[in-house]
Amino acid sequence: MTTPRINFKEIKDWTIDNFFGSKLGILLTLFSALVITYFVLSMISFLSSAEWEVVTTNRRLLLLGRLPEEDTWRAWPILWLFCSIFCSSIGAWGNPKKRELLLLLLAFLMPAAIFFTLPYIVHIFATVLIGSVAYISSKIIRRTSYIEILKKALVSLWILIIPLSFTILIVGGGPQSNLWGGFLLNILLASVAVVAGFPLGILMAVGRATKLPVIKTVCTVYIETVRGAPLVGWLLLAWFVLPKFLPDLFGLNDLSVVIRAMIVLSFFASAYIAEVIRGGLQSISKGQLEAADALNLGYIDRMRIIVLPQAIRVVIPAIVSQFIGLFKDTSLVFILALTDLLQVGRIIPEQDPKFFGKQLEALLVVASLFWVVSVVLSNLSSKIEKNLGIGTR
Amino acid sequence: MKSFVDSVAQWSRFQRNRNIVIQAVFLFFVTLLGVYFFVRASGLELSLSHFSSRAGFGLSHTFLVDYTSNDSRWVAYFTGVVNTIRVCLVAIFLTTLLGTVMGVARLSKNFLTSKIAWTYVEVLRNTPLLIQIIFWQIVFLQLPQISEAITFGDTTAISNRGILLPWISDNGNAQVWFIFLGIVAAGSLYLSYFLNKREDVSGKSFSIFGNRLNGNLAGISLFVIVTIVTYFAFGRPVSMDIPEITQNNKGTWMQSGGFDLSPEFAAILFALVIYTGTFITEIVRGSIQSLSKGQTEAAQAIGLSKYQAMTLVILPQALRSIIPPLTNQFLNLTKNSSLAVVIAYPDLFMVSRTIMNNSGHALPVFFLILLTYLFLSLCISLVMNLINRRVTRIGA
Repeated sequence: MTTPRINFKEIKDWTIDNFFGSKLGILLTLFSALVITYFVLSMISFLSSAEWEVVTTNRRLLLLGRLPEEDTWRAWPILWLFCSIFCSSIGAWGNPKKRELLLLLLAFLMPAAIFFTLPYIVHIFATVLIGSVAYISSKIIRRTSYIEILKKALVSLWILIIPLSFTILIVGGGPQSNLWGGFLLNILLASVAVVAGFPLGILMAVGRATKLPVIKTVCTVYIETVRGAPLVGWLLLAWFVLPKFLPDLFGLNDLSVVIRAMIVLSFFASAYIAEVIRGGLQSISKGQLEAADALNLGYIDRMRIIVLPQAIRVVIPAIVSQFIGLFKDTSLVFILALTDLLQVGRIIPEQDPKFFGKQLEALLVVASLFWVVSVVLSNLSSKIEKNLGIGTR
Repeated sequence: MKSFVDSVAQWSRFQRNRNIVIQAVFLFFVTLLGVYFFVRASGLELSLSHFSSRAGFGLSHTFLVDYTSNDSRWVAYFTGVVNTIRVCLVAIFLTTLLGTVMGVARLSKNFLTSKIAWTYVEVLRNTPLLIQIIFWQIVFLQLPQISEAITFGDTTAISNRGILLPWISDNGNAQVWFIFLGIVAAGSLYLSYFLNKREDVSGKSFSIFGNRLNGNLAGISLFVIVTIVTYFAFGRPVSMDIPEITQNNKGTWMQSGGFDLSPEFAAILFALVIYTGTFITEIVRGSIQSLSKGQTEAAQAIGLSKYQAMTLVILPQALRSIIPPLTNQFLNLTKNSSLAVVIAYPDLFMVSRTIMNNSGHALPVFFLILLTYLFLSLCISLVMNLINRRVTRIGA
């Protein structure tokens, strides 16, 4: 074994090439160094004067909103369920490098370090344990022939995760849905919207792609109308108008605001998902359609067997991006007076005189939580894109 | 009877006929849904007649409109629309600049520069816009008090009441002058277009005293000369308006003059520009990367400088694939401007929400919002399509 020698010439060349290649290069380096110094200095001066008590005393509010104390335990099974499905999916499909797994662990542990106190260390440990056991076991199953069954089970679990979470929240006299809040609410809203908007999105995309003029027009009008107005507008509609339009059956008229927000977000998501899927439909090569015709498949069979599976496969990364966008947009439910993560982070420093003037600290923590989830998901989406081999033919 | 069944079976054998049936059934259900909604809506107030009544609320920002709370709701709504257009136009201009600069910086060979652009995109694209708006509002409200305003040589004053910039003030007939200048600008644009076209087609260039004059230069010089001449001809219609901070005899600090960039406007503007800029950065980067490397090498081979290669060879070609997604981002920006409601900048959405709350008739106001945003989106699409047509024209 020879130890790799440090090649000083290479380092020197790289430095000159990157920093001092030309007059413009030198100027850019100086300017960039100035910008970086400014930001680092202002970060240091902010962090050195920041007091995090505003976050540490309001951990539960930030994560769960006004969920009553005795119902806090309900959040853990949801987290564990999600964690096990997520980790075993990585084990079943992905080929993560060690570095990426470590980063994923860090992405979980960092918010955990901010938000949890010592009594919860067992729960945190359990989460990490469940995640690693799920990952390793599905990695082992992958070597056997049971992997296909596992994959099918995982797909159905992903679809079932929303109803399961709802069950955990409601079972045994759970809290009213208008008490759901904090980060939990953001995640629930975004997941429900994407999962519920997906089938409608497929229908609308297929409808827009047909040659039948009536169906095409109706679908196009629906998609473009929903996309035409901003989400806050639609949410406001959920506040004022939706109760008047729902039928009087089963108490649908006085749905809680959270459920109304979910309905509106689902319709909103469906229009955007439809546009994404339409892109997938257009990417299907003509040969596939001709092959379907050659097999004498009807329209429905052709869509179900040939076109949609391929189209959806292509757009999975784009749908993850939609989820990220929607997840960020769930912060707009402030307009319905719901206490989501951002709203809690805004209200605390304003209402508690003890924390007056600590808005930036609260905002920074809120932003970092949104940021961690979005970054993990967007990296995941680019991973899926590579795994599916999209764009590399 | 049997013959009827047979003839139906015969008729339905054709795809065309079956399509008619499918569409008829579909239309029936859509109509049913429509009738249901209509019946439900019939109990609600659907006209906009209450818009002519007195608004009764004040707006903190009135731009180009003299709005008072005694005006009708239509005027209030119009003020909101103007405020939206104002913030969107400025933001679209600035975000395009920022996105292009950052997109080019992202591909820079300079390690530090490209990392700055990378950090900018990765950090700000993944945080909700709403957080960024609130962040900028907090930042602008934490600026020093007006008594300790930061000033730059008496031309600009920055305090927590807003940023005061030097501006121009009307000395009487400025409006006429501006309209006149608009006509002159259109004329100069046509002149440079005409001269360039003539030179392209016939090779004959426009020359003064034997010196060849570029079409663009001719247009610009026409505009500048006419501007200077008419400035005096109109009797100095505008003058420089420099902001002033004074203390009146009761000890209250007053600010007057100049262009007042209020904290709310600045917050929504900064947030929109910086957030949308991240997406434009990625669009610009992707488009430049999709060009073949031969283009850069060819530009180098004919001896163009890096700046020339970028502005003359790379960007014009990249523009073709930049413009369609860019249009999308502009539309997103316009819709996102409705989030100004969170910091009480009276854009069209906030004004209509106030009207909804005051009148209790939500549905017609909502349709008005929808139509207004659709109209704004259509305007943007129209302009961008015109630009796109010009850019994608081969050999232009």
